[in-house]
Amino acid sequence: MAQNETKTASPSGVPLLKVENLSVSYGHINALKGVSIEVFPGEIVVLIGANGAGKTTLLSSILGITPSKAGTITFDGQRIEKKPVDKNVRKGVCLVPEGRGVFASMSVMDNLLLGAHHNLQNKDKNLERVFGWFPILNQRKNQVAKTLSGGERQMLSIARGLMSAPKLILVDEPSIGLAPIVVNDIFTILQMLNKEGYTILLSEQNAYKALKAAHRGYVLETGTVTLTGTAQQLLSDPGVKAAYLGA
Amino acid sequence: MQVFIAQIINGLSLGSIYVLLATGFNLLLLVALIIHFSYPVVVVFSMYIVWVVLNATGNNLLLGILAGVLSSIVLNVVSAPIFQKVMKKRGEVDVNSTMVVSMGMGFIITDILSHSFNHGFPIAYPENLTGGAPLFRIGLISVQVGQVWSLAIGAVAVSAFFVLLYKTRAGRAFRAISEDPAGAKLVGIPIVRTGIQSYALSGIMGGMSAILIAMLLHSASPGLGDMLAHKVLAVSIVAGLGNLVGGLVVGLALGVIEALIQGYAAGSWSNAIAFVVMLIVILWKPKGLFGIKV
Ligand SMILES: Nc1ncnc2c1ncn2[C@@H]1O[C@H](COP(=O)(O)OP(=O)(O)O)[C@@H](O)[C@H]1O
Ligand SMILES: [Mg+2]
Repeated sequence: MAQNETKTASPSGVPLLKVENLSVSYGHINALKGVSIEVFPGEIVVLIGANGAGKTTLLSSILGITPSKAGTITFDGQRIEKKPVDKNVRKGVCLVPEGRGVFASMSVMDNLLLGAHHNLQNKDKNLERVFGWFPILNQRKNQVAKTLSGGERQMLSIARGLMSAPKLILVDEPSIGLAPIVVNDIFTILQMLNKEGYTILLSEQNAYKALKAAHRGYVLETGTVTLTGTAQQLLSDPGVKAAYLGA
Repeated sequence: MQVFIAQIINGLSLGSIYVLLATGFNLLLLVALIIHFSYPVVVVFSMYIVWVVLNATGNNLLLGILAGVLSSIVLNVVSAPIFQKVMKKRGEVDVNSTMVVSMGMGFIITDILSHSFNHGFPIAYPENLTGGAPLFRIGLISVQVGQVWSLAIGAVAVSAFFVLLYKTRAGRAFRAISEDPAGAKLVGIPIVRTGIQSYALSGIMGGMSAILIAMLLHSASPGLGDMLAHKVLAVSIVAGLGNLVGGLVVGLALGVIEALIQGYAAGSWSNAIAFVVMLIVILWKPKGLFGIKV
């Protein structure tokens, strides 16, 4: 599983993603209240938070699905908080949504090609890479996605994101509903992708495994960042231990 | 036996028009997320455009056909912003409000047809479009050139549609939106632009239907649109709303049933009998024979 010596990235240089004072509401519910985070190239950053803390809201605002009320989102040097989702996907952001979000009645191949909607000219090269990392998807490429297991669906959802040739992969609670051993596989895959050069922003309630895999983290509580630090710092923080690590 | 064969051909050619119309209707339902009840009324409007252009150009077939297809595409695409606006205003996607827009369009078009063209009398298409003398005739039953053409073109068009749906980038996006609009948006499919493409594509199918109906019926009247709209809605519901393969089967079946009734029983009762059959099917399977797919 997660090994600390693999964590070489450090927060330096220009952030790939910079979220500043982001506020998002659903009607009168303030889901995010001035959230600021940064993700640097080559990092795995984890958002730790309980159910309802605002993790999904933050990730979906970055992609452009959920409109923000105030604040800015800068990705790769450009402001994107008002941009539509398809533009942001073209720019290099992709989201692996909570609950996988694969198209259950479509084939594995169709799901992958949907990820490559804006990038079909490179589809053969990307398919080869993705099938190299996920050989099981190659074996199942003509099956409809609903016949896959939970772990395979999670892999498909990640692989679909990779087909868009992203610079930043947002992954929303990948461990939810998966057996512990499969969760380990998923985190191993995310670390492997990170070593291949992908930058990852991950949300998790499963804080221990996520922090073991990540470089840095933010703790999100009811729409506010209450703590941030390296994964090591957060793992040994008494508050984090009490609230998220069951210690 | 000859009557039977003739009526099967007639039924399939009529059915292929129902299939085209039901497919266009279902495409709009699945991808543009609207219930365009009056889609066949728009098609009949294009039939009138064909007639006007044929009259104006001394029966230039090519221009007539072009005008029919183009007018259908334009009418469909132009109506898109109205539908989208209504959906936006109601917050989330709301198919019920789009049905009212569609009905309104239907009424307006039908009234325009009955006031502004041929004093509201039925219009007739020239022989160079409809094909003149029948291929063969037994008593009252005949098979016309137009029928064979409409069957052939209908088959090609529907096959092309399915190839597009299952083998192309746009088709994949259509299927993704029809399965999960929010998920499609998330992977980066431009929902509005893809929706407009579906309006255009159903416009193309509507325009082809307009030509085929003209070849098949040799005439049109202001009330034709409503009659077709009822049938297409019934076909789609009996098949299962949004179910393309279902629409294919049920559309052909309705055409054949109608033709057989006309061949062997009281032709003037064919609508009533066909609707009784559909009534029975829907009582038996309220979600349609093939299941709702939205
Ligand atoms: N579509 C929505 N409509 C209204 N409230 C929402 C919606 N989505 C999330 N919320 C609320 O926003 C807050 C943050 O939710 P969410 O971002 O889903 O948290 P998390 O992903 O951390 O569980 C919660 O209070 C939740 O109830
Ligand atoms: Mg969530």
